[in-house]
Amino acid sequence: MNRLRWLLVPVVVVPVAWLLFTGLGRDPRDIPSPLVGRPLPVLAGTTLTGEQFSTVDLVGTPMLINAWASWCIPACVIEHPVLMDAARRHAGELALVGLMYQDTVSGARAFLARYGDGGWPHLLDPDGRMAVELGITGPPETFFVDAAGIVRAKNIGPLTEADLDRLLPLIGVAR
Amino acid sequence: MIPSLGHAAVVVALATCLYAVGAFVLAGRRRDPVVLDSARRAMLVTLLLVGLACIAMVVSLVTHDFSVRYVVRNNATTTPLFYSVIGLWAALEGSILFWALLAGGWATAVLFRYRDRHPALMPWVGAVLALGLAFFLAVMVWPGDPFVRVTPVSPEGLGPNALLQNHPFMGLHPPLLYLGYTGMAVPFAFGMAALITGRTDAEWLGLVRRWTIVPWIFLSLGIVAGGWWSYEVLGWGGYWAWDPVENAALLPWLTATAFLHSSMVAERRGSLRAWTHLLVIATFVLTLLGTFLTRSGVILSVHAFSLSAIGAWFGSAVLLALAGSTVLLVWRLPALADRRPLGGVVSRESAFLFNNVLFIGITFAVLFGTLFPLLVDAFSGAKVSVGAPWFDRVAGPMLIALLFLMGVGPALPWGGASWRTVVERFGLPVLVGVLAVVLAMAVGHRELAVLAVIGLATFVVVVAVDEVLRGAAARARSRAEAVPVAAWRVATRNRRRYGGYLVHAGVCVMAVAIAVSASGASEATVVLATGETTTLGAYRLTNRALVQEPLADDARVLETRVDLTLAGGGTLRPALRDYPNSTSPIATPAVRAGIGEDLYVTLLAYDPASGSVTLRIFVNPLVSWIWVGGGLLGMGAVFAAWPDRRLERVVAAAGGAAGTAA
Amino acid sequence: MRRQLLLVAGAALLALAGLGVVATLRPAPAPGIDQVAAQVAAELRCPDCQGLSVAESRTAAATAIRAEIAELLADGASAEAVRQHFVDRYGAWILLDPPNPWAAWIPALVIALGLLIAGWWVLARRPRSSPAPRPAGAADAAVRRELEELDA
Repeated sequence: MNRLRWLLVPVVVVPVAWLLFTGLGRDPRDIPSPLVGRPLPVLAGTTLTGEQFSTVDLVGTPMLINAWASWCIPACVIEHPVLMDAARRHAGELALVGLMYQDTVSGARAFLARYGDGGWPHLLDPDGRMAVELGITGPPETFFVDAAGIVRAKNIGPLTEADLDRLLPLIGVAR
Repeated sequence: MIPSLGHAAVVVALATCLYAVGAFVLAGRRRDPVVLDSARRAMLVTLLLVGLACIAMVVSLVTHDFSVRYVVRNNATTTPLFYSVIGLWAALEGSILFWALLAGGWATAVLFRYRDRHPALMPWVGAVLALGLAFFLAVMVWPGDPFVRVTPVSPEGLGPNALLQNHPFMGLHPPLLYLGYTGMAVPFAFGMAALITGRTDAEWLGLVRRWTIVPWIFLSLGIVAGGWWSYEVLGWGGYWAWDPVENAALLPWLTATAFLHSSMVAERRGSLRAWTHLLVIATFVLTLLGTFLTRSGVILSVHAFSLSAIGAWFGSAVLLALAGSTVLLVWRLPALADRRPLGGVVSRESAFLFNNVLFIGITFAVLFGTLFPLLVDAFSGAKVSVGAPWFDRVAGPMLIALLFLMGVGPALPWGGASWRTVVERFGLPVLVGVLAVVLAMAVGHRELAVLAVIGLATFVVVVAVDEVLRGAAARARSRAEAVPVAAWRVATRNRRRYGGYLVHAGVCVMAVAIAVSASGASEATVVLATGETTTLGAYRLTNRALVQEPLADDARVLETRVDLTLAGGGTLRPALRDYPNSTSPIATPAVRAGIGEDLYVTLLAYDPASGSVTLRIFVNPLVSWIWVGGGLLGMGAVFAAWPDRRLERVVAAAGGAAGTAA
Repeated sequence: MRRQLLLVAGAALLALAGLGVVATLRPAPAPGIDQVAAQVAAELRCPDCQGLSVAESRTAAATAIRAEIAELLADGASAEAVRQHFVDRYGAWILLDPPNPWAAWIPALVIALGLLIAGWWVLARRPRSSPAPRPAGAADAAVRRELEELDA
């Protein structure tokens, strides 16, 4: 019994060590989405330019649904050129849809005037219901939807070229 | 120049501190008083240097020296003087500096207090304390230098985090907490010294009693102050959210309280000694762990400062402290067996034992809940949340059970009690407790938890009152004194016991206030146009005016305020404040505290054109009593810790076994 | 006996004072569906805050979720179905009470174990003889000793 008590030391220390150092490798914000593998909920409403728009109109084309806000700095500013480039490169085979997250019309217009308007529609979400439908926790978040309307991936945080390289093939868009 | 001085002071302080560690170890092994003296002086020098560094930082903040990165991130030219000064602990690196100052203060105080005494223990106490301080200094020299420069010098700073400059309590809550955390290193160091030297009898516990209660008071008041600050500032009407950082502060408090109780058993009866050591180790390790959780970004929370390399340093410190102290404890384990049997099933010892089990149970539950998301993520990659509903359900019953023990423990005698004694002692309090429950139900309370808390809290208070009167009556009879005089005399001759009663009474007041305020609050969200009136409970509020203007003492902050008049007199002015370094405005609730309930109003939204506002109104019952209870707790603990020369002399003269002067 | 009466009177007074304080409260009698909505909202995490529940938070996301809870309940969904509705959109992360069975069982088992061990310890280590009766002290020194003996 006397010698056995020394076993207590590794029994106590090893689990604590494992816990502390696995913890450091994790990002608590990287939350997987239950929408992946399921059809995209229909998003319909008024756009920033005043037109009526619905994602139903785009079925048949792969889509990127990008939730953003003008106050989302610097993340949305960083990803904006990436989106503009993607829209230009894949014109005709990829549709982009913006979703305003807790933002104002004037703020959004100022952002696009400053950083460039790629010409794709931006849906207004005044009472936040569309954001709830998609399970958005904060901008920027981007959903990759294939031509059949099934969500194939969700990217949290600013979109990078590497993210596009990795995820666009999943919805049938070649890089 | 001044920041460089500050940095240099920290570097030199690390050197003198490391010297102190070596000298203490040498003094301990050789029992050399000259080396010990030198080590002690080195600690004093370390403290003075850290003090110098703190002054350098405060001066940099007050003079808005934007060549220092910490000042740029936490200060601005418009920051008021008070918030500039307390910017010392507003963010990560500064708070480590402040922590080092307090740790050095405690270490120097205890080393000089026992300058000529306990030559076997003190060198090792010094070594442990110096080693702990050296860690914090090392963090400041390498990953977390508070005096890092910025080139080119910035013309303006970001200002303090908006939430931290909203309320003067920021000047109170962190210092209280830090004093508590750093102070707990002292009993830990004594515990380690006792293990190292093999002096595993209760001598160290007698020495350490006051050095445990005082930090415990700070820690308790710091946690209560945090709740109060949360309530007054954050605008959601609550005071405790089981947030990871709140939990991190609670964990060492739980084990420290358990330690306070089990050390009584260990000191008086020689039982539970190994357990007591374990608790003081747990308190120290949990303090470091708490710092790790909040500094490393591992679990996001209201307080989380940032993801940083400092996290890895703290993680390593936790492990080293845990490993070192576990090895020592396991080494001396055979010598720590119980000296005498534990006492009967119904005895004070067993009450204390169950009290400890419950405290550890709550500690485990809170730790488990806080770390569960991390564990699940590590095992399966899934993300889960653990919040108030889980904690309330798991910790709640144990806290209520503790209430019961709080009444029973102090009234049971050591060794054991017959059932007759039990009935005699507790019959009346039980009856009164039941009466209280009946009354509570008559008033409308139906929730089981609330009724249990009310009944048990009443039970505890009646037991305490009964004990006080019993003791006073015994003395009054034998000395022919009036009962109140006798009561005071008995209390001042048994400070620990009677202080303990007051502390328990404070806890009971808090428990009832928390239970009732959590279950009986009412709220409403209303939109009020100018001139419109709304009613909630007994209150009628009218929207008089919407005012928008910069703050008087900080022109960069735009405050949008609604003036609400209360029927029956008084004005409330909830506001939203736009800080330049915050994307969303900060809610500043208006709180009208009352004896029975608080009226609490938050401004959610406003329309500048029409002057109409969206308000969230709460009526929170008994919240003020939470702070009152906290005050009673503090007073009771101060009373218990107050030195009593007369009793010490008598006990020593009577040849008491554990009569070491503290 | 008189002291007992004094105590009972004191306790009754305390109870009445408590009653008086409590009588100033006005817990709003909430109709059923509002209560259920509040309950569900308290169990869902606010997506864009840190740790607060949807019931406590007043961010736009929390307000939208509360509106949706009200609509779903009005349509006749059960509390469980409403919770599942949000889990289907946000993932299990949105629940403040995790659905994992480990979260429920591990603490309960550990604490029950702790209490059992403590109980065994107390029973196994109790002294064999019954405790000696405490001296009923009338003399000064005896009273003092008794008080010191009882000192916590």
